[in-house]
Amino acid sequence: MTEIQLAELSRVLFFPVTMLLYLVAMGLYLYALAFTKVDRAADEPAIAGTRALRLGTLVAAIGLATHLGHIVTRSLAAGGRVPWGTMFEYSSVMGFLVVLAGLVVFQWRMRRPEVVGFLLLGSLLTMGAALLLYAEPGPLQPILNSHWLKIHVFAIMLAATVFTVGFVFNGLHLIRDTAEQRVAERETARLTGSTVGAAYGGPPVVVENDESPLGSDVERADAPADLADGGVRGPADGDDDRAYGAALRATISPWRLAAGTFLGTSVVSWVFIPASPTVEEGVRRFLGINLALVLAALVAWWFVAKLPSAATLDSLAYRTIAFGFPIWTFAVLAGAVWAEQSWGRYWGWDPKETSAFLTWVAYAAYLHARATRGFRGRGAAWLGIGAFAVLMFTYYAVNLVVTGLHSYGGLPG
Amino acid sequence: MSRTDSPLPPEANPALRRPSDPGPDGPVGFVLASLRMAWRWLRRMRTALYLLGALGLLTLLATVVPQFPNVPRTVAQWRSGEAGPGRFVSAIIDLLGGYDVYGSPAFLALLLLLFTSLTACLIPRYRAWWRVLRRTRPPRSRHLEAQEQVAVLDTAADPADVHAAARRVLAGRRWRLRAPDADPDLPDQVAAEKGHVVREGGSLVFHTSFYVLLIGIVLGQLLGYSGQVGVVEGKAFTDTASGYWTSTPGRWWTDADHRAFTLTLDEFHVDWYRDVRLGGQPRVFLSDVTVRTEDGEEIERTVGGNDPMVVEGMKIHQLDWGYAPRVVVHADGEVLYDGYLTMSAAEGGFYSGAVKVPGADPDVGFEVFFWPYAPEDDDGTPQLTGAPWADAPYMVLQEFRGDLRLDAAQNVNTLDKTGLAEGDVLALRPGSLAVLPDGVTVAFPELRRWVGFQVSSRPTAPLLLTGAFLILAGLIPALYASRRRLWVGAAVDPASGRTRVTVAGRAFQRPQAFEAEHRRIVASLAAALAELPPSSPPPADLRPGDAPTEVVPR
Repeated sequence: MTEIQLAELSRVLFFPVTMLLYLVAMGLYLYALAFTKVDRAADEPAIAGTRALRLGTLVAAIGLATHLGHIVTRSLAAGGRVPWGTMFEYSSVMGFLVVLAGLVVFQWRMRRPEVVGFLLLGSLLTMGAALLLYAEPGPLQPILNSHWLKIHVFAIMLAATVFTVGFVFNGLHLIRDTAEQRVAERETARLTGSTVGAAYGGPPVVVENDESPLGSDVERADAPADLADGGVRGPADGDDDRAYGAALRATISPWRLAAGTFLGTSVVSWVFIPASPTVEEGVRRFLGINLALVLAALVAWWFVAKLPSAATLDSLAYRTIAFGFPIWTFAVLAGAVWAEQSWGRYWGWDPKETSAFLTWVAYAAYLHARATRGFRGRGAAWLGIGAFAVLMFTYYAVNLVVTGLHSYGGLPG
Repeated sequence: MSRTDSPLPPEANPALRRPSDPGPDGPVGFVLASLRMAWRWLRRMRTALYLLGALGLLTLLATVVPQFPNVPRTVAQWRSGEAGPGRFVSAIIDLLGGYDVYGSPAFLALLLLLFTSLTACLIPRYRAWWRVLRRTRPPRSRHLEAQEQVAVLDTAADPADVHAAARRVLAGRRWRLRAPDADPDLPDQVAAEKGHVVREGGSLVFHTSFYVLLIGIVLGQLLGYSGQVGVVEGKAFTDTASGYWTSTPGRWWTDADHRAFTLTLDEFHVDWYRDVRLGGQPRVFLSDVTVRTEDGEEIERTVGGNDPMVVEGMKIHQLDWGYAPRVVVHADGEVLYDGYLTMSAAEGGFYSGAVKVPGADPDVGFEVFFWPYAPEDDDGTPQLTGAPWADAPYMVLQEFRGDLRLDAAQNVNTLDKTGLAEGDVLALRPGSLAVLPDGVTVAFPELRRWVGFQVSSRPTAPLLLTGAFLILAGLIPALYASRRRLWVGAAVDPASGRTRVTVAGRAFQRPQAFEAEHRRIVASLAAALAELPPSSPPPADLRPGDAPTEVVPR
């Protein structure tokens, strides 16, 4: 096959083949989730739609195979180089890694199939954004031709993947936590007949289990998850569960959630307006991205009762981000070493460098907030969301808009 | 530490801090009290978060707004309103120091605050960590059954043997063990802990490495050097204080620190993918150089984009390149100008520069525009393309006459046109020559290329690498090591005469993961107990080393 044919094959494998497979798999996972009965006492969702789940896993695995095929053919079409030389390729590999992590880490190792549907959704969003940045495969500029491209860019990509997964968990946690707390407050208000003392009806406060001065970073949310379900009691029969689910959903207004998501997404997605060939096209992309995220938020809202408990989601988010942070740190340091070799200075306060540093600061703030009283829980989760916005800004805005003001290393090209 | 988080009444949670000595009164006391308050404020984690947030905001500003030290030309365009958000916003940015965030007093003050806060946080943590290090014994537990993870085993073995077996099992799993207590009043107990030193130690190493980086950066600024110079093919430059076009020597760098080597650019290789699909993307970008050190040693090497050369501790990077057409200006049979113009690519693929001939009367200046690939079409007109390969070089010169004002500082590649009047326009191909009406001739005999090299000395690079390594070496245990304590207490149950073994554990992090670990330890202990001989005399109705009869997870 010629390189052009390979490029064509690679593109078809990406869209529609892989994206459709992921879409179908996501539908199957969410279908299975919709028929899941959650035993609140054990925080063990008993998946009822087992067949749908198995089929979803199969379709997602086939999607991974075609995605891998896309990555390999793309690499071959570009002359056999590493498959992360352009923004499109980078986003594509990120989408692949998110699904891979969903299946291997969260479904197989951690036995949490209920989050995989949302990870597929996150992957689809990443891949959809990648389509907007599609570029034909081509050889690399000589300045990129270095082992550091493999090390530095792969580490950045891996960390960004992990942070994307962490963002999914943070988002789910925010929705679930808000619903849980509001239901608990209402329950208390109903029981006591007044709103006085409602603050004490929430989840029982976990007494700090570490009195030593070294315990500045106790992972409190890793405490047994059933604690967070306290405050709301009742017999675990089906009707009550359904009522609890409806109550959880009713606490959050979908309109406000949609509006908030739209505004929040706009913080980063505006960059697609100046980065597009025409303003109309830019507005179309901007609206498309925003509506896709609004839709994703509404899907999460619809399934709020089927999600793992807020404490579990918080713990998943923290552990994911704590896993990604050293990788990002390594990637930034490796970038400094590469910059020294390539441009003759290890740090030049270049926009890309500063924004990577900014991302590092933002995630460091999240990790510190998790260890700070008064910031834990939803406060930390908001910081995590903000840190992800910074990551997206680093990735999209700095590449698409800010770099126009600055050319790397003064090279032709 | 706030007490409001606890559901218990306040009297159950006495303040941790003892009331301190109020200190002297009067102005001295006021200053001392303020300092103490500031220090306490800086010690709070919340303060560190706010400072990190402020650092983030400044960095965001520096990402979005062009920075003068990086892109002075873009900043000039923003200031003049040619680009960016307009002159008014630009003036506000200037007022806030937004064009040089990292050199602004606000940034330096923030950095100072961050490092003070870091110091204020680290000092008590170092002290506490030192105490943990010195306290060689893990603490005992008074109420084993009140711990988070409790399992009870039942065995016929002697309690002392059980404790010895527990020590073996835990030591094999690399737990830190408490030495047996000599006090006969205390019930015998095995106390062990894990992760206490490593987790906090890692966090301390991580935070301390920022001082290493700071020292490395500051010393690097003082001791280091970097200079940039353009070298035309076949020409050379010498590493001396005056040998560079631009240079940034550190404050402690002296002229004697130069290595005085001579670098000759023998040949420069550059090529592109000449394919419409790839749009002239560069493919090769390499310089063959010969370096002759002061001692007369000669080194031949190829320097590439990611492949710098090191000569006596100075690193030589190939950063930039451009075309260097040779221009010769004659008047009355006398050579007034003969030189290579070092031109850089402008947007649109053409190159621009200037020729200044003060020897003519009046002064002659030329604004020079150069296209590497301008093939002639059917009627002989040059087609100006943006392609970078020099297959059909074409040069256009705009003549200026008057006063070049060379007594003032000038950019070599532009003319100061205030004292100049526009003259003729000349067009040249390599090897051709043009004559101006007054007999001045301009020739374009050959085309070469030039390469921009950077020569730098960064003596603190190993220190910075060490700092970077320490960051990672500290971060990983700080995030992943988990602190656990474990106790094993064995005592003879007076009712049954058998030994009751309590295995109690407590996790400071990730209790869910500890559940499994606790279970594994209990299992290995049970296996070890099964091999123990029964205490003498063995009760007749029991087999020696019974398997555990009761495991109670809480």
